Formats: sequence, C-alpha cells, structure tokens
Amino acid sequence: MASSKNLPAAEDVVKIDKWDSGALKNALDDGAKKVFVDVLHYKESHHLMDGRLVICTIAVFFAMFALVWDYFYPFPESRSVLMVCVISYFVLMGVLTLYLTYAEKGIFLVALEKDPAMMEPDNKWVLSSSLRKYDVMYNLTIQYTDGKTREERVVSCSKCVASFFDENGVFCFDLFSPVLEGLRKDLLSDKKKL
Amino acid sequence: MAAFGFLDDVMRMNKRQLYYQLLNFGMIVSSALMIWKGLMVVTGSESPIVVVLSGSMEPAFYRGDLLLLTNHKEEPIRVGEIVVFKIEGRDIPIVHRVLKVHEKEDGSVKFLTKGDNNAVDDRGLYARGQLWLEKKDVVGRAKGFLPYAGIVTILMNDYPKFKYAMLAFLGIFVLTHRE
Repeated sequence: MASSKNLPAAEDVVKIDKWDSGALKNALDDGAKKVFVDVLHYKESHHLMDGRLVICTIAVFFAMFALVWDYFYPFPESRSVLMVCVISYFVLMGVLTLYLTYAEKGIFLVALEKDPAMMEPDNKWVLSSSLRKYDVMYNLTIQYTDGKTREERVVSCSKCVASFFDENGVFCFDLFSPVLEGLRKDLLSDKKKL
Repeated sequence: MAAFGFLDDVMRMNKRQLYYQLLNFGMIVSSALMIWKGLMVVTGSESPIVVVLSGSMEPAFYRGDLLLLTNHKEEPIRVGEIVVFKIEGRDIPIVHRVLKVHEKEDGSVKFLTKGDNNAVDDRGLYARGQLWLEKKDVVGRAKGFLPYAGIVTILMNDYPKFKYAMLAFLGIFVLTHRE
C-alpha cells in the first residue's frame, strides 16, 4: 500500500483550521498534487497557473504605471494615459474572470506522465475539485488523456471532508492517498477493458 | 510556534503561489486605485470625492459628509454653486459657496467665496494679497453628497495610529491567507 510507505514526516504535517472551507480545499488539493507529483513522479505542467499570473501581472503593471505617470504629470495632463490604464485594467479583470471560469474551471493540477521509453507523447492527467462553502462534500474529478490514442476518460468522486481530517484539523494523507490511487487505477483498468 | 500558526499556509506555498499571493494583494490595491483614477477621468476633478472637515458650511454640509465633485471645463461657475478650491500654502482644500463672479470676454473668471456658516467672506483665508479665486484654483464643484459617510475618514485622520494598525492588519491578513 502506498499509505505505509508515504507517511508524512513530522515536519510536513498539514494542520489547518477545519472550519475554514478554503483551507480544507487547499489541503486536499495539495494532498492530491502530492500523490501525482511526489509519489508517482509525474511532471507538473504550470501553463494554466502561468496564464493567470501573466494576466494579473499585466493588470497590476497598468495600475502602477498609472500611479507613476500621474505623479510625474499631474492630473489634467495625464488624463488620456489614465483613461487607457483604467480601461485596460478593468478589461483585464474581466479577462481574468473569464479565464478562471472557462479555462481553469477549478483545475488545480495538470500532470504529464512521461512515456518511459520517451517514444510516445505524454499521458495527461487533469485534476479539478470543488468544495462549496458550508458544504462537507469534496468533489474531485480526474480526467485522463491517453497520449497515444488521444482517448479521454473521466472519473469523479465525492467524499465527506471529515474522512480525511482528524478532530484537530490535521490532514491525514495516509487516508487520502488510497482514494486517489483507487481513482487512478479505475481510470487505467478501464483502458485495459477496451 | 503556535503564535506563528497563521504563517503555516505561507510556508507551504511554492514560488508561483507566493507570487500570486503578492499579486492578489497588488490587485486589491490596484482595484481601489483604478476606481479612483477612473472617477478622476469621468468627473474631470483631481479629487472626485472629498470629506467635509469643518462646520463652515452648516446647515448645508456637516463634518463628515461625503461630497462628489465634478470639474468639467465647459461648465461655467455660477453664483450660489458650492466649489472646492485650493489655496497656495494650504494642504487641505476648502468647500465654500460662490458669492460673486466676474467673467471677462476672453473667458477668464474671478470669483469670491464664503462659508454659509461664516460671518465674513473668504478673503482672510486666501493667500496674502489674493482677492479673487480663479479657475485654476478649483478642485471641483459639489454635485452630490452622502451625509456622514466620511466620518470614518475623520476618525482615521484624528487617530493616525489606529489607521496604520488597521492597514497593517488587513495587509497581513490578505498576504497570509491563501485565496
């Protein structure tokens, strides 16, 4: 079992405020990430997160530029520059919202499984999750794309968050990783049947 | 260790998450800044919202009222309007009513103001030797007001330590809380 081999060392015990649903979701997402990246050694692809960082960086850059420009060329002079910056900023905020809703869609990990012989394209694992506020059910969806056949398969599960945290809010990775292993095996065994 | 428990989240972040955390903080500040600059562009005033700091315009405005200003160049200044103006050598703009206006054919304007609650006009408040205000002194004209909404600003200015403590607390909260 993966659980016995991968007990967390004392220093990386994840203890959170168990009444904070955001913290719960982050801890679970991190746990799932750990299974795929640290235990299975798949390569994490950062493109989605990088896209979001780029949008935010440009937006903040526009704001800072407006601030500096307005300082050197006080208001009535700086009007047109300010207008451009303000419009760009709010357009970028709109783009960010669209990006979060339609591109990221709760995806927190894109992991690439390299073919050991380096001959075939990578298999892709896309993990997304949701945990509604004031809800105890953590919904996890794993989408698997086979690198060679381009075939896609999806499994999802809903578990009560209480199954993975103890009373003090310590995250029990050894209870969580078998669930993920199970889901992963389901996806792969599907493949054999076909 | 327990006292620094709030840092646990930060310690667990990788460099992308840390950068996003900073950006998140930056975006909160930027949004406020861009709303302010956007209002400047729309209203044409360098300071589109001001808080009344004195009682010199009672009973029209009381201390703590929030004023919305516009300063469109094409609108003429008329007697009876309430203007916000700056005086050389004073940091804080003044909100008073226009009492007299002189307009020349070349478009230049000079005017005199007075606080509704003051016994005399504002010549004593102007810079030494200044008898009239001109268009360049005007920050904006009052177009709307929200009673007492600015009282927090007054409190913050009266107790600067409270203000900095609040800002520091909010800043730390945003920086250390993940999303």
